[in-house]
Amino acid sequence: MSDVGIDAVTYWLPDAAPTLDELERRGALGSAAGTLAGFGFRQARVASSESHVDMALYAARDLLGETDTSPEEIDLVLYAGALTSSTTMECGPAPAGSVLQLRDLMDFFKYPVSRLQSELDLTNAAVAGVDQQGCAAIFSAVRMARATLIAEPDVRTVLCVSADRLPHGSSREVVYNLVSDGACALLMRRGPARNRVIAMHQVTKGAFWDAGSLENEIIAAYFPTARTVIEETLRKAGVALEAIDWVIPHNVSLRSWEILLGLIGCPREKLYSDNIGRIGHTIAADNFINLRDATDAGVIRKGDLLLLFTFGYGLNWSCMVLEH
Amino acid sequence: MNGQSVTPPERRRTILVTGGTGTLGRALVTRFAAGDAAVVVLTRGQTSAGVLPVCPSVTRLRGDVRVGGSLGVTRAERAELTATVTDVVHCAAETTFNRPLDEARTANVEGTRAILEFARDCPRLERVACFSTVYVAGRATGCFGECDIGGEDGFVNSYEQSKAEMEAVVRDAMPDLPIALYRLSTIIGDSRTGCVSGFNAVHHALRLLYQGLAPMVPGRAGTLVDLIPVDFAADASYMLLTHAFQPGRTYHLCSGTTRSATLGGLLDATMAAFERHRPAWRKRSIARPALVELDTYELFVRSVEEAGNQVLLQATRAVQAFAYQLAYAKVFDARHTESALAPYGIDVPPVLDYYERVVRWCVETNWGAPS
Repeated sequence: MSDVGIDAVTYWLPDAAPTLDELERRGALGSAAGTLAGFGFRQARVASSESHVDMALYAARDLLGETDTSPEEIDLVLYAGALTSSTTMECGPAPAGSVLQLRDLMDFFKYPVSRLQSELDLTNAAVAGVDQQGCAAIFSAVRMARATLIAEPDVRTVLCVSADRLPHGSSREVVYNLVSDGACALLMRRGPARNRVIAMHQVTKGAFWDAGSLENEIIAAYFPTARTVIEETLRKAGVALEAIDWVIPHNVSLRSWEILLGLIGCPREKLYSDNIGRIGHTIAADNFINLRDATDAGVIRKGDLLLLFTFGYGLNWSCMVLEH
Repeated sequence: MNGQSVTPPERRRTILVTGGTGTLGRALVTRFAAGDAAVVVLTRGQTSAGVLPVCPSVTRLRGDVRVGGSLGVTRAERAELTATVTDVVHCAAETTFNRPLDEARTANVEGTRAILEFARDCPRLERVACFSTVYVAGRATGCFGECDIGGEDGFVNSYEQSKAEMEAVVRDAMPDLPIALYRLSTIIGDSRTGCVSGFNAVHHALRLLYQGLAPMVPGRAGTLVDLIPVDFAADASYMLLTHAFQPGRTYHLCSGTTRSATLGGLLDATMAAFERHRPAWRKRSIARPALVELDTYELFVRSVEEAGNQVLLQATRAVQAFAYQLAYAKVFDARHTESALAPYGIDVPPVLDYYERVVRWCVETNWGAPS
């Protein structure tokens, strides 16, 4: 078993928090506000002038500051983006109706992770993007960071960043989930003070790549595969479900979590669900926002076993077990 | 009567069959037609006339048990029938699981009351066979015997309830009429060919699995699922009726404790059959549905209803109609029936011996869709 973990977590969320009723009035919901409220949502967090790169910078800068980590210590940056637009630089003020404003061919070669390295003076860091896995992208970043820390002794500190924002004016509902903008940053090291990664598992089902035309099939596929992935992760970790102290979720609907908990036979009380209503689903940053808040609130304690599960388009199911 | 007389020779048996165009009914009519009896099939319309065997001994009579003791035929036709009928084989039923209870009762309870009223008027009557379902057991769990009545714990759907009420009507009539009751398990197709002559909730659930629209099924992996092939149902009931008739008895035509499949085994066999007979299906990466407790399944159904997703709503309701019964684990005891059939060499085959053929037939015919 490796001794790699997530030593620190920070996140950044926009201040604007329109309620379901406000979003419904703006025409930003597909379902009735009441339906989404019944599924556990209350409000979304919506960025105004901040781009996804800005949000990534804010989260990463906070991380370095909070942990008193000098920029030179970072050996590798993995930048995770769930939306295809998140892996492309914004090349000017975002106009209404679009988050991107690409002007010429060279704009396609401007990368958020390079800008992040530059802005934060991470001069020793190699960089890479992790994308095309929807909301599971940050889990893949953690997986790659862990593998690199195990395989390469000279890599000591890895910064994983995830940042996504929906285009201006777009609907805030995706398949009965309320979507927010937000970013998180993780510091991964060997010998971490907390959050040692015990096991990870991911399943990809590319047959569902065309998410727009397979919504019903995707909803149906979600639950049985989620259970399989969780069970396989626990098997890899050598941990029984009963030993898990907390389930740290992605902030899809509380209802869907209640169903999934029923499927895996986990008591509802073990779900840290405080942020589903308060924050909504920040695409890829949820689990780590929740991990940070649960830590700050004293909900989870040193040594607790945590199960983090997420799901992303593509389709990707990802799960990890951490020892806090 | 379509220009043909139903009057048979003096000593010939005349068998009145209701529901003769249904899955079991038509299989029975075929067997009766192979003998020397005259067979009169009471049918509601022309549309399914083509499914009956073209045979001089089989006549079709337009009528409907739901209209009462007249059976919806003319007075002359009824008089001719009552004078000649020796056997009544009552297969007609509303078998859709989730019809409104009133509709189910009209067909299954009042329809049975009507056929028994008719039977009382038949001076040559020797045998009445009434077909029911083992699922009159309803929400009961454990072992359900041939002498058990069922329903004490309520029912899963209107079909079960109306059939239990129908059985009460039949039992009340047993002192006056030579009636035997045949409780059928779920018929899924022909054990030799896999051919499905009548689709039911099981086949709809199979299609949803194939389409990847069935994320979960209530029940446990070890829950026994009782299914029977139509050829067994027809052979067994034909033999019990014609060679081993015992009025007042109730028979279970089911796979019972030893021939049923487990729910987990059935799901595995289903997925394996899809992959084997439609290799391209494997590429769709459709997951085996999760087996869940009933409360979790109901939460999913409620969520789909609240979301108003029509496709998933129809899918969950279709699964619900069949699968809710799986949450009430039970086995059906058929010892008396097995003893009665043993001298004739009729034995129900294990479900998993022929199940794949049925799935294959469904896949290859696209659930019977016109090519």
